[in-house]
Amino acid sequence: MKTRIFVGFIVMMFVFVTPLSANGKVDIQKYFNDTANKVKATENAAEKREILNESFQNLSKALDKVENMGLVSSENRDVFDQFKNNLQEKQDELAGNNGYERIPDSQLNNFSNYVVQDMEQALSISLVALLLIIILVILLI
Amino acid sequence: MQNSHRQSTFHIYIACVGLMVFCSLLFSSCAQLPIQNYSQVLKENEHAPIYSIVCIVHGDNNYIYHDTTGNKLSADKETITQIIRVAQQNQNAEVFIFHQKPASNFLLFFPTKDGDFYYYRNGQLIANESYWRDQKESQLNPELELFNSYSADNKSEMKKIFLYFGHQIPEYGGEGYDESYPERTFTVSDLATGLINFLGDSAKIDMSILSTCYGGTPFTIDKLGALSKIIIASPENLHLSYFDLAPLEQLDEKLRIGNNISFAKNFAQNAFDKLTMNVQTSVSIAIYDVDSTKQYLNEIRMSYTNTLTNLKLQFQTFPSIVKQCDCAELPSYLLPQMNKGVTIFYRPARFGRLKNKQNHSGWECWKYDAKITNIR
Repeated sequence: MKTRIFVGFIVMMFVFVTPLSANGKVDIQKYFNDTANKVKATENAAEKREILNESFQNLSKALDKVENMGLVSSENRDVFDQFKNNLQEKQDELAGNNGYERIPDSQLNNFSNYVVQDMEQALSISLVALLLIIILVILLI
Repeated sequence: MQNSHRQSTFHIYIACVGLMVFCSLLFSSCAQLPIQNYSQVLKENEHAPIYSIVCIVHGDNNYIYHDTTGNKLSADKETITQIIRVAQQNQNAEVFIFHQKPASNFLLFFPTKDGDFYYYRNGQLIANESYWRDQKESQLNPELELFNSYSADNKSEMKKIFLYFGHQIPEYGGEGYDESYPERTFTVSDLATGLINFLGDSAKIDMSILSTCYGGTPFTIDKLGALSKIIIASPENLHLSYFDLAPLEQLDEKLRIGNNISFAKNFAQNAFDKLTMNVQTSVSIAIYDVDSTKQYLNEIRMSYTNTLTNLKLQFQTFPSIVKQCDCAELPSYLLPQMNKGVTIFYRPARFGRLKNKQNHSGWECWKYDAKITNIR
């Protein structure tokens, strides 16, 4: 019993010491990176397009849910709108809407890399981690 | 029987506490000892260094990025590896490396040091210590203390290079730059104030390399230009893979023969080639020959200062109605002398609204974003 308590205590110490990786920014980055990996893994352009489109739509729905649930504070409103606007631009460019030329099939892999890199730059300076975690949770439900 | 049980529990408790204290001492003392006997190593390498490199790598925020094959990388750790290679390759340089890390606790309760320091001289590691960073205002005082402890005596004779890696350094405000210390402030002015003390008897740093987003603004170049002869910076967003440091590995071959400007061009061209090969977002690297840019900076200083003053007031309530853009897009900044002293390497983003923008002036300014304003 005493040995168990002692071992348990030691294990707990090291569990607590392990840095928590509940970082919303990192997880959203992973979301886009996984999408890009899937795009690059398939040869079929229509499938690539569908993967990208689905990824944007899922995130867009998650953003709407967060907004409808009243989770966006006035403090976060501007960066939230910017993020949403950025996502809409990507969707428009993929489909060739709103003044954009449709992304050619041959450029879909590069476009998926562009999305990862652009979002990494946007996330590094904008949305607060808590908001991103909420979005991610909704995405996963 | 009960007494014996209590006694045993007490012993386990004491043992656990003892173990925690031992571990905390063990871990907090890691990397605090100089690697070698400092004076002995210096005797063995008596030739004085001719280059002095000071490198600050900020790592206390989100510095995760993915390469094109999908590998997750940490920008600060990748940079530390690169700069250590630079330090090892240069037999005539002293290199100070400061890695500013996130705050962390050992065993929940024991704060560990949040900075790592490396000092290389003539290619050899002389010291490797952990240190405490500034907790509130940051003007690099702990870094300066370490610099003064180890720097060579012939400071004024050496060619000096300063490198900074991190996110965009704010032009005002500066709260939240560190994830671990949200109330700690760090601004361009703080960096400039801190750097003055690194100069010693020298009038100026020969070259400052600012590996951050939006480093090429009139305010930043004006502030740091007071301390540097040449500045290399990115006027727009800079991908977290940063500037490639390979040209710094052979300073004797590249810097001694050529002049500073030709070396800066070689450095920028190499960094540009590497970035454009791997990055789909825009790539912009500018070289500022500071003396030659003074006329333009003098002309626009008042206008830019007024914009910053207005932004300070508005940012508290409407942070995103302002955006950064090429100064050439704003009539009041589009002056004939704007290109004087600036060499720009630019490639637009391969996608997005600005993919057909062919040129960049090398200067980044602030503007109101009508689109965002309409959303509101």
